[in-house]
Amino acid sequence: MRSLDESREILYVIRTLDVLMGSGVGLEAAIHSISQGGYGIISKDFEGLMENINKGRPLEKELRSLLKKAETDGYKRVINTMLNNVTQNTDIIETLRKQGERMEETRTESVKEYIEELGGVPETLLSIGMIGPIILSILGIAPQLMEDAEELFGPMDQGMIMSIVNVGLFLTLLGMAMIGLKAHTKDPGL
Amino acid sequence: MLFSILEMFRNEPLLLFIITLGVACAIGGIPPILERVRRRGIENDLPAMLEALSDSLGAGLGLQQAMMAEADRNTGTLGKLLKETLAESHASSFDAALASFATKSRSSQVQRVMHLMSTAIEQDAPLQNILADMSRDYERLNDLMNRRESDLMGRSILIIMFVSVGLPFLIAFIVGLFAPRTQGFQLESFNSSFTLFFGAASLVAISVSGRMLGRMRSALWWAPLWMAVSMSIYHVGVLVIGG
Repeated sequence: MRSLDESREILYVIRTLDVLMGSGVGLEAAIHSISQGGYGIISKDFEGLMENINKGRPLEKELRSLLKKAETDGYKRVINTMLNNVTQNTDIIETLRKQGERMEETRTESVKEYIEELGGVPETLLSIGMIGPIILSILGIAPQLMEDAEELFGPMDQGMIMSIVNVGLFLTLLGMAMIGLKAHTKDPGL
Repeated sequence: MLFSILEMFRNEPLLLFIITLGVACAIGGIPPILERVRRRGIENDLPAMLEALSDSLGAGLGLQQAMMAEADRNTGTLGKLLKETLAESHASSFDAALASFATKSRSSQVQRVMHLMSTAIEQDAPLQNILADMSRDYERLNDLMNRRESDLMGRSILIIMFVSVGLPFLIAFIVGLFAPRTQGFQLESFNSSFTLFFGAASLVAISVSGRMLGRMRSALWWAPLWMAVSMSIYHVGVLVIGG
């Protein structure tokens, strides 16, 4: 969930940092502005960072610990850029702009990939969701259908067969849910 | 036949409960749809508005004047909201009116834009370039969102129709044809297992299709109704086909 939140917010954070720092605001004040809210998990991270800075901890150390906490590449890169600005006085605005452009391209690509990857989900879901119950329904009524064929197949206990059907239905449901989970885990975070 | 169907419903308290819940939740599911249509209308108009504001600023107009011109031009929900905002700004500050506009839109995109505009005004940043950049950004974002919606909508409907309608009908057909009630087949536990399965499978199908479109929470409002539809199709199908 954290990585999804990060990837959803990071581009807007970059744009805000670009506007703020491009108009002359310092890095610390820009971080403070974002920590005020509106950028989900990143606002919360920055809020914690500001609290620690106000307690007297150095910005560099706080950015390093935030770097360890970050999960997505984009967020890590932004923190790294901030860190470089603090330690080496690099041109943060230009780097952020480039990162923003690259991230936008990546987002477009990931949405296209998501749409392509989900193309197979309905077919897979329907294959499992339809074949499983069809087989299980025939299995479930088999003991009564083949009552006269006990000599051929041996006795079939309806209770035992129903237990097998129930387990099968549960597994089918689980399989459907697992396939559907792909729609969640691959979400590009728009 | 009609009476035996009604009798079947009478003997299935869980199904009756889900039907009642389904109707109630379906009514609750309408406002999120209406709200989404309204919000997407605003969001799709946003890039054009930002571009027009940027152009007007470039032509030397003030932000408030540019917004007035845009409010007159835009006939959609965004234009209406903008008009209200500008009317309010006579009684309060322009900054407060922008904040109120963002709140009224109930759109995270508009809220972000207004927040960034307020910050840019506060910091004396070059607003024209910022608005042009934002217009481009949000146009791309909306294109992606619209593309996702149009590409995945068909697939999501397919999942719901097959799992909630096609599957129970198919199984009911098989059971009704091969093990008809009139010939004395005992299928109480079988039917109850499959009814529960169809209900749960419908829930999974609704969740997956909602997640595919990026709105699982609002899709879940419709889950009880589809569960009821699916379970009813199975029960009625077995009864009608099985005689």
